[in-house]
Amino acid sequence: MTDTPPPHPAEAPPPLPPRAAGPRYTGAPYPIFMLGLKTGLLTVLTLGIYRFWAKTRVRRYIWSSVELDGDRFEYTGTGVEKLLGFLLAVVILAVYVGLIQIGLFYFGLTLWTEPETRVEVLARSVAFLLTGAAVLPFVQFAIYRARRYRLARTRWRGIRFGMDKAAWGYAVRALGYMALTGVTLGLLLPLQTFRLTRYMTDRSWFGDTRFRQEGHWTALYGAMRQIFYAVAFGAAAALITYLLEWPLLPPLALPATGIWLVFGLFVYRVRSFAYLASHTVLDGHAGLTASPSVKTIFTRYALGSLAIGLVSSVVFGVLGGAIAIIAGGAGQMAGEDGALVGLVVAALPAMMVYLLGFVFIGAATLALISQPVLAHYVTTLTVSDADALGAVQQRTGDRGADAEGFADALDLGGAF
Amino acid sequence: MDTTARFSDGLTAATREVRVRLSADRLALMIEGAGTDAPLRWPLGELRALPDHSRPDEIVLTHVEPHGDETQVQAARLVVSEPDAVAWLHRTRPALFSRPHRPGTARRLALYGGGALAAVVLMLFVILPALAGTLAGMLPPEREQAFGQTVLRQMERVLGAEDAGALDCSSTDGRAALDLMTARLTEGRDLAYDIDVRVFDHDMVNAFAAPGGQIVLIRGMLDLAEGRDEIAAVLAHEIGHVEARDPTRAALRTAGSVGLLGLLFGDFAGGAVMLTLAERLIDASYSQKAEARADRYAYGLLREAQVEPAALGDLFETLAGEAGEAPGALSHFLSHPRLSDRVEAARAATREDAETRPILDDAAWTDLRNICG
Repeated sequence: MTDTPPPHPAEAPPPLPPRAAGPRYTGAPYPIFMLGLKTGLLTVLTLGIYRFWAKTRVRRYIWSSVELDGDRFEYTGTGVEKLLGFLLAVVILAVYVGLIQIGLFYFGLTLWTEPETRVEVLARSVAFLLTGAAVLPFVQFAIYRARRYRLARTRWRGIRFGMDKAAWGYAVRALGYMALTGVTLGLLLPLQTFRLTRYMTDRSWFGDTRFRQEGHWTALYGAMRQIFYAVAFGAAAALITYLLEWPLLPPLALPATGIWLVFGLFVYRVRSFAYLASHTVLDGHAGLTASPSVKTIFTRYALGSLAIGLVSSVVFGVLGGAIAIIAGGAGQMAGEDGALVGLVVAALPAMMVYLLGFVFIGAATLALISQPVLAHYVTTLTVSDADALGAVQQRTGDRGADAEGFADALDLGGAF
Repeated sequence: MDTTARFSDGLTAATREVRVRLSADRLALMIEGAGTDAPLRWPLGELRALPDHSRPDEIVLTHVEPHGDETQVQAARLVVSEPDAVAWLHRTRPALFSRPHRPGTARRLALYGGGALAAVVLMLFVILPALAGTLAGMLPPEREQAFGQTVLRQMERVLGAEDAGALDCSSTDGRAALDLMTARLTEGRDLAYDIDVRVFDHDMVNAFAAPGGQIVLIRGMLDLAEGRDEIAAVLAHEIGHVEARDPTRAALRTAGSVGLLGLLFGDFAGGAVMLTLAERLIDASYSQKAEARADRYAYGLLREAQVEPAALGDLFETLAGEAGEAPGALSHFLSHPRLSDRVEAARAATREDAETRPILDDAAWTDLRNICG
């Protein structure tokens, strides 16, 4: 240290390699389960009104469990603004959906020629599909708005994240790319995933600094491998069935192909996230690396589902049985009108058990699936240069007019 | 209270070690080393901690700033993790986790809530019914008829018939009597539809009009009626529905309001029950008006056919005797005006001096009652 005395006291020390930092996840199963249970019960008791505050509180817990370089993230959204946003969205959607439905029904009637049963069913399903398609632009709009709201209410070291106002631009592109993916039978799925993610990432900010999506869409074909295998398997099975006239194969191969396809989509989601996150940079400051393990995430889903399934079937099986026995006993005692008395005695507790089951499973899912999966995603991230983040400056707040009201009205839940 | 803590100033995403102690007047926290010349002074009364944090051993402090963003607190953060300091904060600052109140929240909630309610009510009770009326008027009659046919099929299936037409009663004499009754009622009227009346062989006491001029009497009604005039009154009432296009209008309105209500009640447990209930209530308020209108239309038809409109009232009394015991009584009262009011109205529509004659002679009336063989 003293071998070469510094020529000037003000000279900078030799440049060190950038200090990488990985986030930690500090949340535990028990507190989040209790939080989920408490807020879920309040939601039921208030006929659903409390859900805006429930969501807020769960997010506060989860955001504050993510710690980067010694400081925790925070979620600053409020229940009131979510309720207000929901009311706003309901008005717009209610008017729109009401008009669309009546219009489509009229349209359906003018096309009604053969009142045959099959045609009737077909006409209904077409009308149903059209109705679904009618809210699709709003669904895409809502996806962008919800993400913008979440980012605008996220902070780290007091500095706001944020996103540009571009929800309709996103909706138009999303519909276009979805159509393209549909027309090409899924072959252009990577293009859709990449372009839509880039559209969002390029409009996201931390403080005064913009995120940027790098990479190329064709790189996502690697993530689709399992989907291709599933399709090839299905095609091979169909070919063998056709050539050998082997009737036993389809009942086995069809579900197998389906399961493989679902698994393939799951793998695609994890791998495409890894690629896209690893090619995200915070302009001029730092880059990200993501290395989630498909195996770990799959195991966490599987074990969590298994545990919840076992516990809830035991608990609610016992409760349901108890209700049936009590109701049956009451019915016996009442004599002639026994059936009716039994029904009345059973109805209220059964309703309560049903609602409790709903809340219990929600809280358990949070604690045993959503949180462990998120924890894995978070802890396998790395930020390339933690010190550079210190230079990021504050941005002004986003009023976020409808919060995520559209997403809520359209039931676009997601885990958090 | 004297500790070290981590501080971010809310301007950049940098963090620094600071020293925090109680001010000399014991009314504020003084933060030294925060990058400012003088120590920062955070009055104790304005301190707030971020709620619902996942680590109870740490407190993230900030302080109130009334006219700021959604949080109503400053963007600066002070992370206190030294156990004594955390305990001191919990002990001395009970209001630490209270949320700063944002002025005008109650007013905004009332405004938005009222607005949302008004919009939904306007849609359900004004816009959709008006639109349904207009669209029903625009629908070509042959399409309406095709739609009505589907409705009839549906009804047949509900009543337990597997094939179309399996429930139709078609004794030749009975049909002739029915056609005669229909012809006498509609005589001299220019109707928009060709009225097609048929009888279903089922015990249910009911009659209904399907879109496109198709009217169904169910045998239970024929069995229950205490005279031919009562059946004529039912028929006249259903013709009133047909001419007002009520079935088509109701179908269109329901399509719109079910979509809207589904959106409102979709996402909580028991939503489907609420939806059905709400749709029932809305429907009730509409069909009440439609029923009263069909009644008035029926008085006209009956008078022209020289039948006393009071026959409709008699029928209601016969029905009321029956409905008192039937389980569907509640739903009947929901969707129909009070029976006693309708009986009175029908009696009031009858002129004392009007000439009357039987709508069918005794032989034809017997044929009609035996139409199902």
